[in-house]
Amino acid sequence: MLRFIIRRLLITIPMVLIVITLTWGLIRLAPGNFYSQEKKLPAAIEKNIREKYGIDKPWYVQYGKMIGNILRLDFGNSLKYEGQRVNEILLNTFPISATIGFLAYLLALIVGITSGTIAALRQNTKWDYASMGLAMLGISMPNFVLGPLLVLVFSLTLYWLPPARWAGFFSLNVILPVITLSGVYMAYIARLTRAGMLEVLRSDYIRTARAKGLRERDVVFRHVMRGGLMPVISFTGPALAVLVTGTVVVERIFALPGLGNYFINANLNRDEPLILGIVAFIGIITLVFNLLVDIAYAYVDPRIRY
Amino acid sequence: MTFFSSSKTRLALLLVALAFVATACAASAGNQMFFGKTNPPTGQVMRYVTGSEPESLDPQIGTGQPEGRIYMALFEALCEFDPRNMEPIPGIAERWDVNKDSSEFVFHLRKNARWSDGEPITARDFLYTFRRGLSPELASRNAYLGYYIKYAQAYNEGGVFVRDPANNTYLLEKDFAADKEKSAAPAAAPEAAPITPANEYPATAEEPTPDPDTPFHQFLHSPNRLILPADETARAEALKDNAKLKAAVEGKQFEPVKAEHMGVEALDDYTFRVTLTQSAPYFLGLMAHQFFHVVPQRIIEKHHEAWTQPANIVTSGAFKLKTWKPYHELVVVRNPHYWDVARVQLDEIRFYPMDDNPQIMNLYKAGEVDAVLNHTVPVAWLDLIEPLKDYMDAPEAAISYFQINTTRPPMNDVRVRKAFNMAVDKVALAKWRKTKPLTAFSPEGVFAGYPQPKGDPFDPVRAKQLMVEAGYKDAAGNYDPKKFPIDEVEITYNTQESNKAISEYLQAQWKQNLGLTLPMKSMEFKTFLQSRANLEYKGLARSGWIGDYMDPVTFLNLFSTPKGDNGTGWYDPKFVEKLNEANRTLDPQKRYELLAEAEAILIAAQPVIPLQTDATKWMKKPYVKGMYPNPGTMHAWKYVCIEHDTSKWDYGVPKMTYDTQSRDFKEREKELPVCSK
Repeated sequence: MLRFIIRRLLITIPMVLIVITLTWGLIRLAPGNFYSQEKKLPAAIEKNIREKYGIDKPWYVQYGKMIGNILRLDFGNSLKYEGQRVNEILLNTFPISATIGFLAYLLALIVGITSGTIAALRQNTKWDYASMGLAMLGISMPNFVLGPLLVLVFSLTLYWLPPARWAGFFSLNVILPVITLSGVYMAYIARLTRAGMLEVLRSDYIRTARAKGLRERDVVFRHVMRGGLMPVISFTGPALAVLVTGTVVVERIFALPGLGNYFINANLNRDEPLILGIVAFIGIITLVFNLLVDIAYAYVDPRIRY
Repeated sequence: MTFFSSSKTRLALLLVALAFVATACAASAGNQMFFGKTNPPTGQVMRYVTGSEPESLDPQIGTGQPEGRIYMALFEALCEFDPRNMEPIPGIAERWDVNKDSSEFVFHLRKNARWSDGEPITARDFLYTFRRGLSPELASRNAYLGYYIKYAQAYNEGGVFVRDPANNTYLLEKDFAADKEKSAAPAAAPEAAPITPANEYPATAEEPTPDPDTPFHQFLHSPNRLILPADETARAEALKDNAKLKAAVEGKQFEPVKAEHMGVEALDDYTFRVTLTQSAPYFLGLMAHQFFHVVPQRIIEKHHEAWTQPANIVTSGAFKLKTWKPYHELVVVRNPHYWDVARVQLDEIRFYPMDDNPQIMNLYKAGEVDAVLNHTVPVAWLDLIEPLKDYMDAPEAAISYFQINTTRPPMNDVRVRKAFNMAVDKVALAKWRKTKPLTAFSPEGVFAGYPQPKGDPFDPVRAKQLMVEAGYKDAAGNYDPKKFPIDEVEITYNTQESNKAISEYLQAQWKQNLGLTLPMKSMEFKTFLQSRANLEYKGLARSGWIGDYMDPVTFLNLFSTPKGDNGTGWYDPKFVEKLNEANRTLDPQKRYELLAEAEAILIAAQPVIPLQTDATKWMKKPYVKGMYPNPGTMHAWKYVCIEHDTSKWDYGVPKMTYDTQSRDFKEREKELPVCSK
């Protein structure tokens, strides 16, 4: 197990470097520059800027310098935002994205698994139809529709909750983004749980467990769930990585100063160090979470050995 | 469906639906006068949306309006903007002297101006600020604003003087003007004394009236030295076509233009002198620009680029930085060391960096912010917003127009250009876009007392006549659109919904009034800029301009050079001569008249099709006082306050003019509101 973990962690290094190189190449191909603007810059001023940021050097020098920085885990300064270090930006924004993402993840898991379980246990009753109907609605309603709808009702009509912005980890501002973000995941998890559990419920060992006279609670929690939640685990692992590293759309809708918001602006501004920093960071997080999922598999399913 | 069979559930659903409708009605019927909630925040705390995330807190780096508004809280310049009309008012300079032809300015600084750490602000700080702003190492994109200052452009662009080692004299510009005979460069007497810090600043700083004629001053007023590019290839290029100059440069030494050569001088701790290359009466207005806000040398030299971080920054304005969380908020609090701290009413301003208009409007409606930046109200919302009393609409120092490539036929014919201009109904356009129609080139209703010339009105009949005169007629002498080379004229614009809408409007107008269906061409922004600057476009290209300072010159100057932002290929020495004459004129009214004459020359040649003067289009809650829809949406924060007494609220746009006729700002200041405690 330990060897497996170490091997997987070592693989992440070349993977991240490949991703970085590809991103770096793509930024080169995109037209425009971080300093281009509507008013024409005098040639001399442009030359001054190019010298200051070292973009007058040949590409291999720039590439070498960039890789050197990344190997030292120092992503340098943002080009667009003078004086801000990329490392600091990551440090300041990640907790916000992670909080929203993790809360949304928890909400999706709790509501999704509960309603999925109820639907499976009360198959073809109004409970089943209600939760699956809502899940269908959740899947078909993208977050950029759900978010503004919630804002319209709860912020602009009822004036209960703020329509946007961040106001700390324990504030009313967290509620709408978390619900918006968890919507689709909640729905998927509910459907996956129901499907997985229905399959297990019909299997022989459940009939055996019931025949032995086990209490229904024990049957459901110890036997049905363990097998029935396998698809949920494989879905939620990568989903968690996406959620905690910032979801661009929700952060835009609610103007949250998270990683996703920075990422989209960095791209629009052609802010190379910031783009590379965020890509590397998200890459590492994703690979680590995939590893965690694999470990969780081994724990839940005794047949899996590494 | 089993789910809906229960009558209880059905009832519950009905109730929820009813609740929705009820709340929606209550909200729309509740407050008709203002948009959304009008509960003032507790105390003197202002929450303001300033637009996209500031690029930097360094006033010499950030170039946009969003940054500019933050800089106005944190930093102060020699002059500041009047909150109502944006005329230059005393800032750290309490008064100034201007020489006869407006080419030299002496600023007298306040003795009580202090940095936020309590250190005094002196002329030396301004000397540092001006030199830093123009230095090639800083690479500021706003450096061009300082090019009026003598030798500043040469310093920023990396120029060299040409020195004759034999007799220690320099080649002079006037001897190598293209049409002049070569004459021996006369030795300029003051240059014999080399410029060293020792004699640059007089040692008599304690004297009440320093002798203004320092050796440095004499140097600035000696004939202009010749400047060549420092870069060897560029220099070879410059010398290529000028054999006389090439011969003269032979065997001479090149001496780089340094910061110490720039036309700025600290005469003593509280006197600062600026010498320009030309007459520029509007220079005072330019002094209030963010680029010239004073920055702290000690702090910058200690922390370098990190000097703007909250832990390091020291400011010169009415407020100082408390926290800065990018993409979230930037909080400033009152600066206790500010010279006019008694007048500062707000305890705290929270700047929210946001750029999504509907989102900003949502926050405003929910009462989460007290005022928003210009152009936040989407055009589609205006029918709803316009009648409300918290809508701030006023003319803006910004215009939109189409420029014409005057170097290509058929648009090289002024009659065709005039016909195109006359065939557009700008009044209808302005009505639709909720702006003001524009026939001349400077924005209308922005510069008080400026006798702006009128361009041609909408006149399709005359337009067709002009086309006939230009030769587009049939055998009978009637106008024939088929003769016009339609393929040679495109309506070019950068891809954006509003540009497309306006281009379509123009296309329809020309089709209707001239019978010409011109092709439209949409381009990616950065490609478009290039095509426009290099005159690669055919026919017409969208354009717009925002004033850098409050004077018509900031608009007219576009055509003072055939290059740069001109983009039309039109250049007339008569126009430039008129501009220069106006700028040499002392009397402000006479000067405005001359500028208007210059603008008339421009309109007569019609290298552009002016369309509209933009409008500010923003909102503020009625309890926010001292904030005005001025032409640049630049707010003098020290006059802003939160009024908790509802009887003193603003209903509609607050008064934008002064009752007093006095030009003295101290008198005018008394009319600015003070909120009740």
